[in-house]
Amino acid sequence: MRPLFLIKLSVMLALYTKYIKYQTKIMIFMYQMRLAKRMLFNKKGSLIGAVLAVTIGILVIHVNFVIFQGLFDAIVRDISNYRNGDILVTDDADYIDKSDLALVNWFERIPYVQGATPRLSSSAEINMTKNGKLIEETRVPVVGVDPLRDVKASTVHETVADGTYVLNRNSIVLGNNVAEDLGNAQVGDNLKLLVVDRTGEDQIRRFNVAGIVKSPGGQGLDYSVVMHIDTLRDMMGRNGESGSFMVKLNDPSKAFEVKQFFLASFPNEDFLAETIEESAEEQLAGFRSGIAMINMIGYFGMMSSAFAIVTIQMMLVNGKTREIGIMRSIGAKRKDILIIFIFQGMIIGLIGASVGTAAGLGYTFYAKETKMSFNNSLPLEVSYNWPRIFETALLSFSLAIIASLYPSYRATKLLPVEAMRNV
Amino acid sequence: MSKVLEINNLTKIYGEGENKVKALDDVSFSIEKGEFVLVVGSSGSGKSTLLNMIGLLDKPTKGKVAIDGINTTKLSDNKISSFRNTKLGFIFQFSNLLVDLTVMENVLLPRQIAGTNGTAEKDARELLKLVGLESQINKRANKISGGQAQRVAIARGLVNHPSIVLADEPTGNLDSVTSEVIVELMKSMAKKLNQTFIIVTHEPEHFGDVDRVITIKDGKAFEGKEHSAMEVVA
Repeated sequence: MRPLFLIKLSVMLALYTKYIKYQTKIMIFMYQMRLAKRMLFNKKGSLIGAVLAVTIGILVIHVNFVIFQGLFDAIVRDISNYRNGDILVTDDADYIDKSDLALVNWFERIPYVQGATPRLSSSAEINMTKNGKLIEETRVPVVGVDPLRDVKASTVHETVADGTYVLNRNSIVLGNNVAEDLGNAQVGDNLKLLVVDRTGEDQIRRFNVAGIVKSPGGQGLDYSVVMHIDTLRDMMGRNGESGSFMVKLNDPSKAFEVKQFFLASFPNEDFLAETIEESAEEQLAGFRSGIAMINMIGYFGMMSSAFAIVTIQMMLVNGKTREIGIMRSIGAKRKDILIIFIFQGMIIGLIGASVGTAAGLGYTFYAKETKMSFNNSLPLEVSYNWPRIFETALLSFSLAIIASLYPSYRATKLLPVEAMRNV
Repeated sequence: MSKVLEINNLTKIYGEGENKVKALDDVSFSIEKGEFVLVVGSSGSGKSTLLNMIGLLDKPTKGKVAIDGINTTKLSDNKISSFRNTKLGFIFQFSNLLVDLTVMENVLLPRQIAGTNGTAEKDARELLKLVGLESQINKRANKISGGQAQRVAIARGLVNHPSIVLADEPTGNLDSVTSEVIVELMKSMAKKLNQTFIIVTHEPEHFGDVDRVITIKDGKAFEGKEHSAMEVVA
């Protein structure tokens, strides 16, 4: 009985000692926190200045992200929606000779695939008489589409501003800029289109303008004409052939997986398959480095706010010399002073990061809900990038703490007797 | 009676070469527990320097300061801070309260720095009652009068039950009526709590009868039981 009692007693004693130590630490922590908060909140001007510095730093990064990443994503979105899909299939030997049905059915069996459609491209000369005047346009890009399948894999049909999308083999849809170049061609107008076939012969046909497409941002088919793919095949002498297949996915994150599966399934064909990132790389590379530069400017902005915090906290330390002296004289250690001023940095960082993030999210929400665009250009593709939002908030919070280190260190260096002379 | 303070050959020199100034010159004395001691002297005599040495706010050039038998001259900065917190209480001329805190929080501060909880709030309330400020505990320190602030400083100086309370011109910033109140308060506290007080002042007449008077002149200490002792050397 006795040894058991002694063990119990010593365990209880150890637990009690730990409890007392823990309680003491909590008490010290609480007073340091309270003092830091009071000192800071009683200097409202400095607090607002420091918080604003952090807030603005974060807001700049959010605004940059919304605008430039939004613009980048919008371009990717439009290239994907109008031209390349999430996966673009081409052939090493220029044209795909596998039947539309075979390839489309193959893709559409995959649950991630929303739709697949063949495309064929060429260039043409267009003649049109408008108000008695013959207008000729050369080297106009021509896109051949399968109207039934295209609406599943592309949103070009949604950009029809006037008339309808490609209806039949004799109808043609003009890009807005082409229509303007043709003397403001309108729906119902008749035009003559010339394509050089594979043997070098001119193939001329007449078409009725079924619609005009217009899309903001220039990634759509505003500079092209759109016609039925079979008509273009006839004119080019490439019956049954396609230039590419655009494949649209329900979940674009599966693009690489689907691409790999496709290539593995047709090992004996000369197919090339690229995800949107790969197929649009040329168009996006310059933009990507631009975004990196803008982001860097944002982070420099954040660094500037850190310097602002250093300045403001130095002012706070200078303004609190007397208080530091009093505290040191009644027994506060250098460490206590350091912690109090670091707590102030944490408070500034916490409030600044919260307000900045809230303001940034508010701006992001506004940009997303209003489909923000500039000068009627393409609407930004705004998204909430939560890891990045969290990372930015954490970074600015950390920077505020780092920025408070030097002023806090300076505060600890004050000798009590010198500080007391500041009365 | 036990010695709470022992000073041996205390010397403090400021500056170097031709600018060398001897603020304290080989000062030695001791103080017993419960004594109410005045340190007097003209301006620039070295009395504040002496208080800073006893208060461990500054280091002597030579000599020893022992509080409760512990030689403080070899202590680390952290140990000195702890020593100041637990063994010494300070009352300054301008009360030196933290204006960001309430009266109660100011009194509690030394206990919070020490991390000693338990009866802290009860003790602080008790002391504030003794100094007649029980009704002001939640007021911000900058919202009370100079006399009240000095009473809060006395309570703060006593809250950790220090070995010595050091007061630097505690009445220097007060009118004569308030000065009298503060002096009486310190004297009654000294009696009630058997608390050692060392008070630096250039107004010894406000203090009436005290246990001891130490006069500082040209950095040297002279013992004198009456205020006349100061007059002799002045």
